[in-house]
Amino acid sequence: MAVLAAGPRPDSRDPVSDLVSQTVVLTRRLVVRSARNPMTVVHAVALPVAFLLTLKVVFADSITAITGENALYRSVPLVALLATMSGATIGMVGINAERRDGFLARLWALPIHRAAAPLARLAAEAVRLMFTTSLVLATGIALGFRFHSGIIAAVLWVMIPVIFGLAFSSIVTAAALFWPRGITVEAVQPVIILGATFCTGFVPVDRYPEWVQPLVRNQPMSPAADAMRGLAVGGPVLSPLIATALWCAAMFGATLLPIIVGYRRASTGR
Amino acid sequence: MTVLPDVRPHPSGRAQWWVLTARLVGPMWRNGEVAVGVAVSVAVTASLYIPLNRLMDGPDLAMSSYAQYLVPLIVMQAIAFASISTAFRAASDSVQGINRRFQSLPIPLLTPLAARIAASICRALIGLGVALACGYVIGFRFYRGPVNALLFCVLVLLTGLALAFLGDTLGTKSRDPAATAQWLLLPQLIFGFLSVGIQPLHRFPDWIQPIVDNQPISRLIYAMRSLAGDSGDGVAPVTWSVIWPAVGWVIAVVAVTAPWAVLVYRRRP
Repeated sequence: MAVLAAGPRPDSRDPVSDLVSQTVVLTRRLVVRSARNPMTVVHAVALPVAFLLTLKVVFADSITAITGENALYRSVPLVALLATMSGATIGMVGINAERRDGFLARLWALPIHRAAAPLARLAAEAVRLMFTTSLVLATGIALGFRFHSGIIAAVLWVMIPVIFGLAFSSIVTAAALFWPRGITVEAVQPVIILGATFCTGFVPVDRYPEWVQPLVRNQPMSPAADAMRGLAVGGPVLSPLIATALWCAAMFGATLLPIIVGYRRASTGR
Repeated sequence: MTVLPDVRPHPSGRAQWWVLTARLVGPMWRNGEVAVGVAVSVAVTASLYIPLNRLMDGPDLAMSSYAQYLVPLIVMQAIAFASISTAFRAASDSVQGINRRFQSLPIPLLTPLAARIAASICRALIGLGVALACGYVIGFRFYRGPVNALLFCVLVLLTGLALAFLGDTLGTKSRDPAATAQWLLLPQLIFGFLSVGIQPLHRFPDWIQPIVDNQPISRLIYAMRSLAGDSGDGVAPVTWSVIWPAVGWVIAVVAVTAPWAVLVYRRRP
């Protein structure tokens, strides 16, 4: 009679370093997968650049005529934020595909830290955001966008879309976990369109009708775009930065529990 | 021992088409497609008109209001979104294997496609209706009589048909609903912004004017604008020289898609 040998379990150092190494492996998997998918690359590279050029060609003269400053200081932040949002649907679809394929259930059954897979998604998302933001910034610089307030401001500038994108992704992920049908992807699009066009990065706030101005000023993308403009060209930075931080914290806070519950459900349910 | 009756049903092609169409149109009302379609049309109207009205309005529009100027573009965007849904549905069908199932059934090859196209016309109708209603709210009117208004709608639906055909082929080919849906947001914004739907040609930089002037969206918008008319006389009259390029582009899209579509649909998935 064969007896299953209760062999030594894989060396376990401590939960935290396990979590880190497992997260690294799973992150690498996600990053490599998306880098090999031509659609993702087009989405992260070609479209933001093309959209930035379009904004430059179509609106730059009108905006510069009104504000007296280069329109790029508005449109580069706007496109950076927009690219983070429109790319967030990729992760949303990805998590549902893995749920259908049984990959989530498989991870659940493996002796790895429960948090490793969700954290890997977060980390992979951060890599994507960093990449897209740098690319938009590089395009902007090629067109004439400059930082006038030094290197620290520039670093902060790049951080804003990354953090904002992570916050937006957390909302989208929560939505994807609870409504795993395709229509959710399409339902996100009007949200993105409205967010991008009712934003101080699109058109100066005084060009909007009075009744909509408070909304434009306070929706999450506007303080982020304002702070980024301030960091690049000078102007108020602190108060939009605080508003952005509050918005992002609120988005993380509101979705953390739903994501944990939804992820467990997606991994264990049928 | 029971003997299977040797009677084969002979469903008509039209009945098959109807069943397959109902399969797509019925759930549309329940699964949120209609709601999203309405939301998108409203969102497009609000997001183009409200921010741009004060920025873009000016005497060089040569029209009575920016609303009258902008609505053709809004309608185009609504139609483009409808075709995205079509692409999404086609990709879902393709990847879920139901196309393969259809190929093994006694159904003509193109009947499922015809059904998806019919469903996409439903979506286009919803998009068109909501966009026109939104246009009415912001001040858009038809000035050139019911016949031209009807032609306006026909032109829009023909465009929707061509885009749906293209979207369906793209979706079936890609077999990846996710990728298909993501593709489409920024491209159509880029095409829409780089057209005369948003501002007059002379406001674009010189080097890009030939592209803007001749690209399909601009040509369609010229035609739609002349069919809708204006309270003033800044709009070109309805003549073949305005309508023909628009119809030509629609035909061109279909003509380019058709051979490719044949390849895609005949492949064994």
